[in-house]
Amino acid sequence: MNKALNLINLNKLHISSKQLFKLNVFVILCAICFLLACVNGSIAINFTDIYSGEISDLTKIVLLEIRLPRVILAALVGASLGISGAALQGLFRNPLADPGLIGVSAGAALGATLVIVLGSNFLSGFMLGSFLLPLGAISGAILVIMMLYMLTKGFGYQGVTYMLLVGIAVNAIAGVGIGILTFISTDSELRGLTFWTMGSFGGVTWPLLIPAIIIILISVASMMTVSRNLDLIQLGEPEAYRLGVDVKKLKYKIIISCAAAVGASVSLSGMIGFVGLVVPHLVRLFGGVNHNYLLPGSAFIGAALMITADMVARTMIQPAELPVGLITSAIGSPFFLWLIFRIKRS
Amino acid sequence: MSINADSISIDLNGRSILNDVSIKIHQGEILSVIGPNGAGKSTLLKSLAGDIKPTSGAIHYDNKDISDVNIQERAFTRSVMSQLQAIAFDFSVKEIIEMGWVDRGESTYANEFENAVMDVVTKCGVKDLIRRNFNTLSGGEQRRIHFARTLLQLWRPSDSSDPKYLLLDEPTANLDITYEVKLLNIVKEAANDGTGVMLVLHDLNLAAKFSDKIVLLDRGGVVKIGTPSEVLNSKILSKIYDIEIKVQEDPLFITYY
Repeated sequence: MNKALNLINLNKLHISSKQLFKLNVFVILCAICFLLACVNGSIAINFTDIYSGEISDLTKIVLLEIRLPRVILAALVGASLGISGAALQGLFRNPLADPGLIGVSAGAALGATLVIVLGSNFLSGFMLGSFLLPLGAISGAILVIMMLYMLTKGFGYQGVTYMLLVGIAVNAIAGVGIGILTFISTDSELRGLTFWTMGSFGGVTWPLLIPAIIIILISVASMMTVSRNLDLIQLGEPEAYRLGVDVKKLKYKIIISCAAAVGASVSLSGMIGFVGLVVPHLVRLFGGVNHNYLLPGSAFIGAALMITADMVARTMIQPAELPVGLITSAIGSPFFLWLIFRIKRS
Repeated sequence: MSINADSISIDLNGRSILNDVSIKIHQGEILSVIGPNGAGKSTLLKSLAGDIKPTSGAIHYDNKDISDVNIQERAFTRSVMSQLQAIAFDFSVKEIIEMGWVDRGESTYANEFENAVMDVVTKCGVKDLIRRNFNTLSGGEQRRIHFARTLLQLWRPSDSSDPKYLLLDEPTANLDITYEVKLLNIVKEAANDGTGVMLVLHDLNLAAKFSDKIVLLDRGGVVKIGTPSEVLNSKILSKIYDIEIKVQEDPLFITYY
């Protein structure tokens, strides 16, 4: 208990009161987006009706069984992509690191695809079914990060572009894998696969959602415990070590937490690009680069952004639905270009 | 109390970098390491800092073998400044300095945080810089900020008697003469307050002026250890540096041609 109190006390040393205030604003923003997304959709729901309890059974089912899990999933995926992007950018000391660009999401998608196509033959009715998909995705993500680890000689700094080149290769390899699996899959499996290319939050149910909630919350919490160390590693690995950071442990913690968060997200929503890249930069622009502020900030802004993007995706061309990945990419890719020019200039 | 290297040898990739080197960094004393390029000065500093494990021999921190001192404790005992790396994100100068603060989990110590930062900032004369973006500073200014960070790492309340050591690799590189002398005066002050200091220096005159003891290294071995007037000798220096070097005594002054 004493130790926990000390931790909070010490963390306050490395975050300003202004930043704490901004984090509170982010939380409120997130909550507003959440409520708006719950009531908006092909069946509109009134706040007052919910409050007075005057809602029909149909509306109740729509709200509890369809909309609520969908909005929660969007929030979770946004939070985990945002915080993973921030943590990976910190660990690699590279402002262009993003789970999508460097191939982690693709690895996760490949893992999940493997489970869907190969797994359905002999694993149907398997007890841990709803855990199996995220586990496949997480394994894929871990595999990719391990590969990056080897290719960058232990995440040593190799220049900004090197990692992106590696990411292109990894994305291509995963693409080949997914392509082959698509080719050998049956029609019904194929329908399950197509949404991976663009991402969607549709069709999620509570039994699928609950394992993801558990996995994502644990990995986000675990990343939060090393935020100060992510600051110190910006000085370079030897300097961080001299300041008492167990660099190896930090790397493993970030790798595993990011892989788990991204893997669990991708297994339910497919690949959603650019969120992990854009969100941390937005949060930095709002209020600073220290990770005590950046990590939680990226989680909240990521969640708010993703909830909104999904709301737009499902309400813009009713009754049809846009893939949410299309919207995030539409926002993210020009931002990515801008970022490259900015880095080139400095 | 001291940091000791006890006859350490270091081989890297099959090449011998240091050979049977023994030195002691005593509290309250400035020990300068000089020698030509490739003599092993930086490697010696890194091994004393705990970055590199000696192939043979041992490093002791206050009579404890370094492997028995965990990395947090090391961070609290000695601070190190060496070659700088580029920083990817736009931290403020204040944030970079504050990275030197080693969290200990004692609230009384944590309460001193703001005091300590202001103390160090004032001492190093960088008050005008602390709101700036670190990446917009010049190389010399960045070095002064890193120096302030190293000092913050060893900051203690005035009643503390913890042993502390500063290991500085070329601290004056990129600095103009004003800040060169200012920085070394701060180091001297720290030594007078009981900090043990090891400096790797290229400038022989600075070494002569600021050191209590000097180690002359050449090709991984110790040529001579002693007071500046013992080590800085025309004959030895000319031989080791392979150019003509003249040492004038009292005041000690070195000229090279």
